[in-house]
Amino acid sequence: MDFSDILALSIHDIKNSLGVILNNLDELIDDPNNHLADPRQAQILRHEAQRANSNLIQLLTLYRLGHEQLAVRVTEQNMEDFFDEVIADTQSVCRALNLDLSYRCDPALSGYFDTELVRSVLESTIGNARRYARANILLSAEEEAGYLVIRVEDDGTGFPGNLPQWLTDAPVSVQEAENPSRTRLGLYFASQIAQLHRTAGRTGRLRLRNGHVLPGGCLELWLP
Amino acid sequence: MAQAFADKNYLVIDDFPDMRAAIRSILRSLGVNRIDQARDGNDAITQMQIKHYDVVLCDYNLGPGKDGQQVLEEARHRLLLGVDSIFIMVTAENARDMVMGAVEYAPDSYLAKPFTKDLLKNRLDKLFERKAHLSKVDKALVAKDYGAAIAELDALIAAAPKNLSELFKLKAEICLAAHRYDDAMAICEQVLAGREIVWARLGMGRSLFGKKRYAEAQEVFRELLETDRDLIAAYDWLARSQTTLQQFAEAEATLRRAVKLSPRGLKRQQMLGELALNNSHGPEAEIAFGQAVNLARHSVLNHPSLFAGLAKSKSANNKHGEALKIIGEIGKVFAGNPETAFYKATATAIVKQSQGDMAGATEALRAAEQAMAEFGETSHSRLGLEMAKTCAQLGEQDKAARLLHKAIANNHDDDEFLMEIVQTCREAGVDYDAETAIREIQKRVVTTNNRGVRLIKEGEFDAAIALLHEACEEMPGNKTINLNAAKACIMKMEKLGATAEDLLAVRRYVERLHALAPQDWRLAEVTSRLRKLTPQT
Repeated sequence: MDFSDILALSIHDIKNSLGVILNNLDELIDDPNNHLADPRQAQILRHEAQRANSNLIQLLTLYRLGHEQLAVRVTEQNMEDFFDEVIADTQSVCRALNLDLSYRCDPALSGYFDTELVRSVLESTIGNARRYARANILLSAEEEAGYLVIRVEDDGTGFPGNLPQWLTDAPVSVQEAENPSRTRLGLYFASQIAQLHRTAGRTGRLRLRNGHVLPGGCLELWLP
Repeated sequence: MAQAFADKNYLVIDDFPDMRAAIRSILRSLGVNRIDQARDGNDAITQMQIKHYDVVLCDYNLGPGKDGQQVLEEARHRLLLGVDSIFIMVTAENARDMVMGAVEYAPDSYLAKPFTKDLLKNRLDKLFERKAHLSKVDKALVAKDYGAAIAELDALIAAAPKNLSELFKLKAEICLAAHRYDDAMAICEQVLAGREIVWARLGMGRSLFGKKRYAEAQEVFRELLETDRDLIAAYDWLARSQTTLQQFAEAEATLRRAVKLSPRGLKRQQMLGELALNNSHGPEAEIAFGQAVNLARHSVLNHPSLFAGLAKSKSANNKHGEALKIIGEIGKVFAGNPETAFYKATATAIVKQSQGDMAGATEALRAAEQAMAEFGETSHSRLGLEMAKTCAQLGEQDKAARLLHKAIANNHDDDEFLMEIVQTCREAGVDYDAETAIREIQKRVVTTNNRGVRLIKEGEFDAAIALLHEACEEMPGNKTINLNAAKACIMKMEKLGATAEDLLAVRRYVERLHALAPQDWRLAEVTSRLRKLTPQT
């Protein structure tokens, strides 16, 4: 057992504690008998706890990727159903933060990817977008040049640096210095997950840009 | 507005009271009121026996005892869950690979912890919608009426809904179960023309296997594993292809790679143990059977043959004392199982023989013969093969050869089983040319069948029935012959009207089939045609 194994075990334990915290927090907030002086504080707690949880899941996934224990299971998935689930999981926090989270896609569109992995990319991206969005977060999916492109965008100030930019390989080269609160972990994770999706001759990629439909940052997951 | 899922019976299974309480309160907040709880697998099974549940939320990790997969296995195996019931497996993030290995009984959905109320609501909505959409197909499947299930599916497919690809996949599965390999292949080819999809490629391989094109099937599975070495199902099928191609050592190596990735598959461990034992790889057999016995401890699929396998492997590794102790456990663990005495006796014979106690071994062999006689003419072919192996090892060559001959006659069209016979002869040094015998028996069965079919076409029903009846008496354990004899009687009655005598004859064949293989895919058709002939009372 090396140090990374110990880390993985501890992360797992922390994640379980967070799970209990999240469950109790939900009950606390949803119970009409509780009167909180500032309900927004409770929502911020929930938002940060969810972010921490998705960060830990990313760490565990990266750990398993590094130890070749990660199997990618590509299945066909209707995009509308997929977005419905992703949104269900994060909607209540967005609503409490006065953010409108919605999606746009052709009801008949389906994609081929590992739903668990891509879901965790989207969840953490939404978690980050919540900090930058002014009022809106938009998910969308469409087919472009033979790829399925999934976008998460917000109406904040956008990513810094020269954009658009493909993030094909680690280390991630976004200019972070100006904005230290945008962690590299999320982007690194997303680009790793994108690259795990392969078909004959084509590999998934990640692209950052600003001002697609909404004026702010836009993360694009290109899946073959 | 009340949700479709609110007015239902729920069972929440988790070993942690806090977790049960949390899930319960999430369900309550969704308007669900009828919620029961279970703290472990046994508790859950007991509750499912007395009450029908529409939704079961089960944690995968339930502490000591059964795990979630074994709860699902037992519930489905013992028909404790209805067709309309929904089983949701709740998993920790790290359990994902553990539970996703190829499993015979898959839950309707997986849910990763922690999950929010909104996610569960969304999931339940979708699951109930899906069940409603497929309800007619499910009903037909429960009755094993594959023809009707495929017809219902085709009607759904014609409407081109957004889950079209799921419907194609289901149709391919049903075609494979119904042995309609050409149809299954056509669906898979159609899907693969659009894009490389794992289930469709696997379906191609399985269809080729079903059509007895083993070398081509093997190539498909091998290529699948080249692109994804974690595809457990492909290992299982590759090993089966290799067995039928008599590549026994390769088949064993294939399964050894599979159990490394997914050690919790009971059937896979057992298959590996059998192969290793037949290949005279004692240490490998001991590991595999040891795993199998452990895995089966809390499983409804636990069986005396696993303990017998472990005892024989230990004996092969000169651990005779341990082997005898394991044999002693068979009687305790499987009291009341009719096969207990038989497996106890065969394993004892092998161990005693390895110890050099010939008198003890012979005595055990006689006990095994006696136990087998009690099963009568429709004793399971597995028992016959086990008996033959035991006789061979104890040097009773003639008896072994006779048993093998009978096993071949009763299973002339099951290539995997036949190749195990070939391997047994080879490894145990039985003086019996199994391969020639297989060819001869197959030729004879085919000739008899063809003559029977021709006679029926010519309207000579009685001659056809007499011919097939004679073949049945010679091979009472042969499913195909019994089935064809039953069909001949049915066709006669469909043409000329039912008689008490013919009905009696058909029933006897059908009962035999039931005893031999209650799950046989051809049984449903025969019983349904028979029902139409039976006067309503």
